[in-house]
Amino acid sequence: MTQERDHRELPPDKHRLLVKAVRLEWFSIGYLLTAIVLLYLTLGSSQAMKAAWVEDILGLLPPAAFLIAARVRRRSPNERFPYGYHRVTSVAFLSASMALLALGVFILYDSVSKLARFEHPPIDLVKPIGDDPVWLGWLMLAALAYSAVPQVVLGRLKQPLARELHDKVLFADAEMNRADWMTAGAAMLGVVGIGFGLWWADAVAASVISVNIVHDGYKNLRVALGDLMDKEPTVVDHSRADPLPKRIEHELRALPWVRDAEVRLREEGHVFIGEAFVVPTDDEDLVGRLDRANQQLRKLDWRLHELVIAPVPEIARPEPAGGGAGDQARP
Amino acid sequence: MHLLAVVLAAVLLAACGVVPRDPEGTLDRVRSGTLRAGISQHEPWTRLEAGQPSGVEVRLVERFAQELGATVQWTDGSEAELVAAMEVRELDLLVAGLTADTPWQTKVAITRGYATTRVVVAVPADQPVPADIAGLRVAVEDGTEAAGLLEEKTDAVAVRVPDVTRVRDSAVAVDEWLVDLLGLKDTGVHLHKAEHVMATPLGENAFLTRLERFLIAHQGEVPALLDAEARAP
Repeated sequence: MTQERDHRELPPDKHRLLVKAVRLEWFSIGYLLTAIVLLYLTLGSSQAMKAAWVEDILGLLPPAAFLIAARVRRRSPNERFPYGYHRVTSVAFLSASMALLALGVFILYDSVSKLARFEHPPIDLVKPIGDDPVWLGWLMLAALAYSAVPQVVLGRLKQPLARELHDKVLFADAEMNRADWMTAGAAMLGVVGIGFGLWWADAVAASVISVNIVHDGYKNLRVALGDLMDKEPTVVDHSRADPLPKRIEHELRALPWVRDAEVRLREEGHVFIGEAFVVPTDDEDLVGRLDRANQQLRKLDWRLHELVIAPVPEIARPEPAGGGAGDQARP
Repeated sequence: MHLLAVVLAAVLLAACGVVPRDPEGTLDRVRSGTLRAGISQHEPWTRLEAGQPSGVEVRLVERFAQELGATVQWTDGSEAELVAAMEVRELDLLVAGLTADTPWQTKVAITRGYATTRVVVAVPADQPVPADIAGLRVAVEDGTEAAGLLEEKTDAVAVRVPDVTRVRDSAVAVDEWLVDLLGLKDTGVHLHKAEHVMATPLGENAFLTRLERFLIAHQGEVPALLDAEARAP
């Protein structure tokens, strides 16, 4: 049994990307705070504005989760946390997606019930500067535009970093940024609708926004729960299984002293940790062979953080997915 | 690109004139027609004498109706009755000496505050202004918010009287607009502050903003109207 422990998570080039991502996330938080204040000041009684405002507040969660995780996950394992702190990313992800889901449901309920009560939103005049009164609706539109345009850019900057860093929180954040301009757009349509005397436009826009938030929350929650359940690793946008476990298996099987091999990996934050089981042909220099195999495999991918290779007499493979929740017996 | 900006600006400017609109067309209906106004007594803002409405807000509403070429049809009742009528759009405007913190604002739309009033502690003009009102005997109208505030929030001794305007040679807690009239001067201690508003049906934004423009243009006249009300017998 070989074990290699190295807790510098990222190779140097990835580390530079991480520094960049951290800077981007701090900038996101700063920008979001200004957008939140601006939207709050122009909130009025528009339901759609409230939804857009809440989504901006929730938009703080992924960057905050990312930044907290970026600090904590580097800590070395200790006696109390023998597996280290990688999973803090998954925990952050779980809480962010729960918040997203809960608030989405709340706004949806609020908007639909206002629609059902035929509530007409009042928007009146304000005097922002000097003595000239302005219809608050115009200021709402300006605030919404401010909360939309930079998000598109931020989302586009974050997405490639998230792929490179295999960081799901960052990826979720980039997705949310990209979705946010639609939120702001829907809210703008709602406000313009009120302007033209379409009282229902506002609540309809808010409902659309909240469905979007619920969808985001549900999608992220599923991924977060999957990660915590040690589901098979997926690529960063969750579209398919990550090929790494299969590659490792092939590499192992290709070794002359290995008769059969089976690999299981789990995602802990943005690194992979797991076990490989091998059936050796004979016991000759087993320790040396395992050690060399481990070193060779660790070079395959930087995300492979820790791999325990265990020699076993035979391998019982897990049932394929969908075969019921039966015990997935392992050697 | 420049052309686009110009077109956009032109559209925006045009929109400024027609936006916002009323979902139920209140403003269009009231113009050259009837303004259905609800009134609930709250002197000196609204008053009913033998069924005849008067008071600061009544004067303002009449002026507003005049601007729109409308005649006012008054309905009196309690705030709750009038708000309920407004919710089903039987009323276009409600005056009741409402303030910005009114609990009705989830059921009706309220305007911007058009007047700010304060209840102040004042002393007779010929007496020196005390540095501190602690221990000072202050006359205050019994059963009012001011009486409670004076009791709880200050160290003054509240002397409850039925009518503060009849008190002579004593510190009193009175509405700010009565200070000069009663020959008093402000001590700088303010018990509470209220933003006065009117109410319109929810969502009738053209009507609401038209009323607000009127109130902004005429809010300078409110002190004189208040003074006239205070001097009225």
